[in-house]
Order: sequence, then C-alpha cells, then structure tokens
Amino acid sequence: MNAELHYEISNFLYHEAYLLDHRQYKEWLDLLSEDLVYQMPIRVTSDNKDASNLVYEMKHFEETKKSLTTRVNRLYTTSAWVDNPATRQRHFVSNISVAPGSRPEEYRVRSYFLFKRSRASDIETEQLFGEREDVLRKENGEWKIASRTIYPDQAVLSVMNLGMFL
Amino acid sequence: MRNTLDKKTLSVLQQKISEGLMPQWVVTDPEIHQVEIEKIFGHTWQFLAHESELKEAGSYVTRWIVNDPVLLVRTNSGELKAFLNSCTHRGVHLCTADFGKKKTFTCPYHGWSFNLEGELIGIVAGDKVYGEEMDKSEWGLRPIPRLESYRGMIFANLDKNAMSLEDYLGDMKFYFDILLGRSDGGMEVRGVPQRWVANANWKALQENFSADPYHVQTNHRSTVEMGISPSDPLYASYGHQVILGHGHGINVITGANGRSKFPFQATPESMWPMFERNLSPEQYDLLSRTTVFVGGVFPNLSFVSPVHGTEGHLHNYLNFRVWRPLGPDKVEIWCWFMIDKAAPEDYKEAAYRGYIGSFGSSGTLEMDDTETWARIVQASKGIMSRDKELNYNNVSNYLMGFGRVEPDENFPGRGIAYPTTYLDAISRSLHEYWFELISKDLLDAGEEAK
Ligand code: FES
Ligand SMILES: [Fe+2]
Repeated sequence: MNAELHYEISNFLYHEAYLLDHRQYKEWLDLLSEDLVYQMPIRVTSDNKDASNLVYEMKHFEETKKSLTTRVNRLYTTSAWVDNPATRQRHFVSNISVAPGSRPEEYRVRSYFLFKRSRASDIETEQLFGEREDVLRKENGEWKIASRTIYPDQAVLSVMNLGMFL
Repeated sequence: MRNTLDKKTLSVLQQKISEGLMPQWVVTDPEIHQVEIEKIFGHTWQFLAHESELKEAGSYVTRWIVNDPVLLVRTNSGELKAFLNSCTHRGVHLCTADFGKKKTFTCPYHGWSFNLEGELIGIVAGDKVYGEEMDKSEWGLRPIPRLESYRGMIFANLDKNAMSLEDYLGDMKFYFDILLGRSDGGMEVRGVPQRWVANANWKALQENFSADPYHVQTNHRSTVEMGISPSDPLYASYGHQVILGHGHGINVITGANGRSKFPFQATPESMWPMFERNLSPEQYDLLSRTTVFVGGVFPNLSFVSPVHGTEGHLHNYLNFRVWRPLGPDKVEIWCWFMIDKAAPEDYKEAAYRGYIGSFGSSGTLEMDDTETWARIVQASKGIMSRDKELNYNNVSNYLMGFGRVEPDENFPGRGIAYPTTYLDAISRSLHEYWFELISKDLLDAGEEAK
C-alpha cells in the first residue's frame, strides 16, 4: 500500500474523529455511504482461548444510515438529556492499516480506538477501547465509510450508555 | 460517624413509607446497602437465565447473585442445576467464561475437576496426597439452595427455606403467562445479554421500570419532538397500574379509549389465533388492548414489552433486565432481548432492530434514562440529603394518586389495578415490601443493642 494513500485515509479518519468530538454530527453523517452497514458485536469471555469471543447474534449497535440519522436527529432536539448538558468527548484513532478491498476504489481499513468522555463536573471519566474494521470507498472523489464493525475489548462496557458514535 | 439502623430510625422510616414518602438518604446509604444484600438478595428469588440460553446437555452460563458467582448447567439428563461457581478446594472462581458447553469444569489452581452434576470427579494425585479414604462425594460443588423456573424463566434462591417461586411470583404469573406463554414454544433469547455499568442505585432502576410511566413524557421527550411518540402528555398514563404483592408490579398501557392503536402489540395477525389458543379469555382480551407492558419482579428484575421501530415499521419485543448491585451507587445492567419463538423470521429481525434503537446499551430511550439514574445518586449523598436524624425532613415524594385513585374492580387481570399508570401505587408497595425485608429481625436487634 502506498504511503500517500495511507496518509489520505489516516487524515480522513482523524477528520471524522474531529467532527464527532466537536458534535458536528450532521457533517459526520455526510461521511457515511447510503448503503452503510454499521455494527458493534458483543465481546464475551469464552472458555477456550482460541474460540471466538465475539457474539454477532446480539450486538450493541446494528445500524443503517437511516437509523443513524434518527440517532443524530435526536441529538439536535432540546430534550436528548444524555447530551444535555453536552458531554466532552475525544476519539483517539491509531494503528491504522490499509488493505485492498473486494472492489476497486474500496479499502479495508483497520484501526484501534480509545474513546474518553467527561460528563458535567464528574472527575471520573468513562472510556471505551477496541478495534474497528472499516470498508472505505471513494465515491465521486470523496471518501465514504461503506461499513464499520466496532470490536469493543470489554465484555461489560464501562460506560453509562452508548450515546456516542465510535 | 454513621448511625446504625436502630429501632428509632427504622420506625421513622416505616412511618414515612406509610405516608407515601421516602427519606432520600436511603438511596445510597452504605449501611442500608449492606443490609439489602443480606436481607433482600439473600432471601428473594433471583433471575438467572431463560431456558433458551441452555439448549443442550453440557450448556452452561455463569451469572451473579450480587457477589455470589453462579454456574448454571444443563446436565446430561436435561435437568438444570446451579452451583456456587467456586472450587471446593480453596475457593477459586471455577468457570470464568460467560457461557459455553462442557463435560467437566477443571480448576486452574490445583486441577480438581467437577462434572455437570457438580460431583468432584478428579483430584490430581488424589490417592497419593489425600489417601484412598478421601471421600470425593463430600467435596462436590455446593448447589445453590433453590432453583425453580416459571415459563422458562429460571430463578435461584440462596435461602433454602424461601417460599416457592410460584408463591413468590403470585399474581405476576398471570402476566408472565401473557408475556412468555402466549406463543407456541414460548419466547427465546437472542444471543447473549448486553452488559454495561451505570452510576446508579438498583432501587431507582427497579422503580423506573416497575412503577414510573410518569417519567416517559419528559425523560423521553426527544422522541415526542421527533414525532415518534404522541404529543399528548398523558399518552403513557392510559391503562392500569397493577400491584401484585411482594413488591411486584406491572403497568398495562393501552390508549385513551382503553384500546391500543396497535392491536396485539403490532404482532402479525397470523399469530393472533395462536395467542387465543394459549391464553385465557381475560389474558387474550388484555393483550388485544395493550400497547406496552412494563413492570418488575422484586427486587431487581424488570421487563418491558413495548411497540417500537427505527425504520418506520412498528414491532413488539420483550426485554428483561437484571440490575446487579455493585455498590450503593453502581449497577451492572444485564439486558436480554426475547422474542416469540413462533414469530416469522423477518418479524424477529425487525423487532430486534427496533430493540437496538430504543432500549439496551445504545437505545435512544434507554440512554436518557441512564442520565437520570446517575443524577439521583449524585444528589443523594450529601449531609442534607443523607439526613439520618431526619431533622430536615428530606424526603422524596411518592404521593401521586395517594388516597385519590381507587382500584378498578372491573379490571379483568389479576392484582389490585388502578385506572391510570401515572401513579405511585407500585412504588409504595415496593417500598413496603422492601422495608418488611430489611427490618426483619432488626427491630428487635436494634432494641437489644441499646
Ligand atoms: S482451588 Fe481449585 S483445585 Fe485448588
Ligand atoms: Fe424510561
């Protein structure tokens, strides 16, 4: 994979994180392809270290662009209390790797994430961490997220809710 | 210095509860919390799993009754057994996986192994180190004293003298029959429970589901603003709030004219004859008229069976949850999605998506609830809200409908039914049972201590 492409894709993911952290959710929606598949399976503790420890039958997120749009629109109402007072949040994205996708103009992009959130005057911060597997696609010269699978590293999430997007 | 739960404090508490009030310090008080764990969680029926989570011989799940790890297995004969999930050699947490399938459980410390019946079947170097006279049968896993189920819901009780599960559930069985028994084959759990942690006290969460449709219009107003929920501020109040004894309760939410806009909770019409076959005429009638069933089994099992959808279509599902106390201000939430086994597959899938969008770890309705739950504990720890001497009279209000709303004698279901759900009747009965349990033996003990 050439360095220029890696740089371009990394910048795209950093830009996405910026939009989320600055609560520009409508602009964030513009980064998603119309046929988006967005999901977050459940991490479990299994009895065999080689067995899969992800459950796909039940997930934390199972979203389409339409359902994510509903979630975003809700955050712009006056009474989405989870975001009112506004949460302070940071999405840290690292360990980005890029591989060719199954179609031309599509790339499989893996990244690690660390999400931190601070609420009101609470000195304890919430966090989530794990890995993401994206399919990024160039549509009319613009990068779009065609699919995203979020793999949390915790079986019991240490956040009050999944009011954020990852 | 903390007060003890002496007789005076308890009698003031009892007095307040009888007046429809609840001292605010009770929410997060560490001593109360300890008493709750021993006197409530040590003696009441605790939900462990739904039988569809343990399909074959050797299937197991691991669960918690507050701080007691529980191993629930299906044995080779198909029976369910529950054990303290702790090795009988030195107490090591035996099986740390969430679920799986096994023939034996082997402890990582010294290698003792146990079969599905809980019997100790292998000791490393057994004869050499313990001698042949060591009786393995004395060192089997310790069974959880009581294990009983109703309509596929498996409950355990740490108290071997507890009343039977059926007696404990009492009139709740009538509603469990509707929720869990309306379809051929009953309900099934999809996948595994979602789990996460909230800064909250378990009592507030139990109240939120069992007893509080009043919060819907404000706490979930975002859905009204978006045109998903009706704008009538009373929309969640139509129907009945039903007291079921032992602190259990259910809200049967219908519609302004006593009928739901969505007959049979927007389930496919093809399923209705099946409902009729499986339910009594009263239960069938109630189901036909209801949009939402939301309630709880004391102390910490809640459920909601609503009508929701994220993609424009409306679907019904059944969501059970356990509030596992991790401390006075921390709760681990366990959230199960259940659906009629007999429902069409595409309906199940759409209902699942409706669930993900509304309740559970990422549910848009749920997340505004979590915000409130945290704010309750946040404001209940100070000197003024603790108010052990009760001088400030710092109490929470459970007076809605108190002495004003009379039971509806014509309600076809079981229990004491009041003709609105904007009511604190369930909360008050929950508090009364809560008090009965925590004060057991303490009223006398407090006297002796003086
Ligand atoms: S503690 Fe389990 S074998 Fe020793
Ligand atoms: Fe709610």
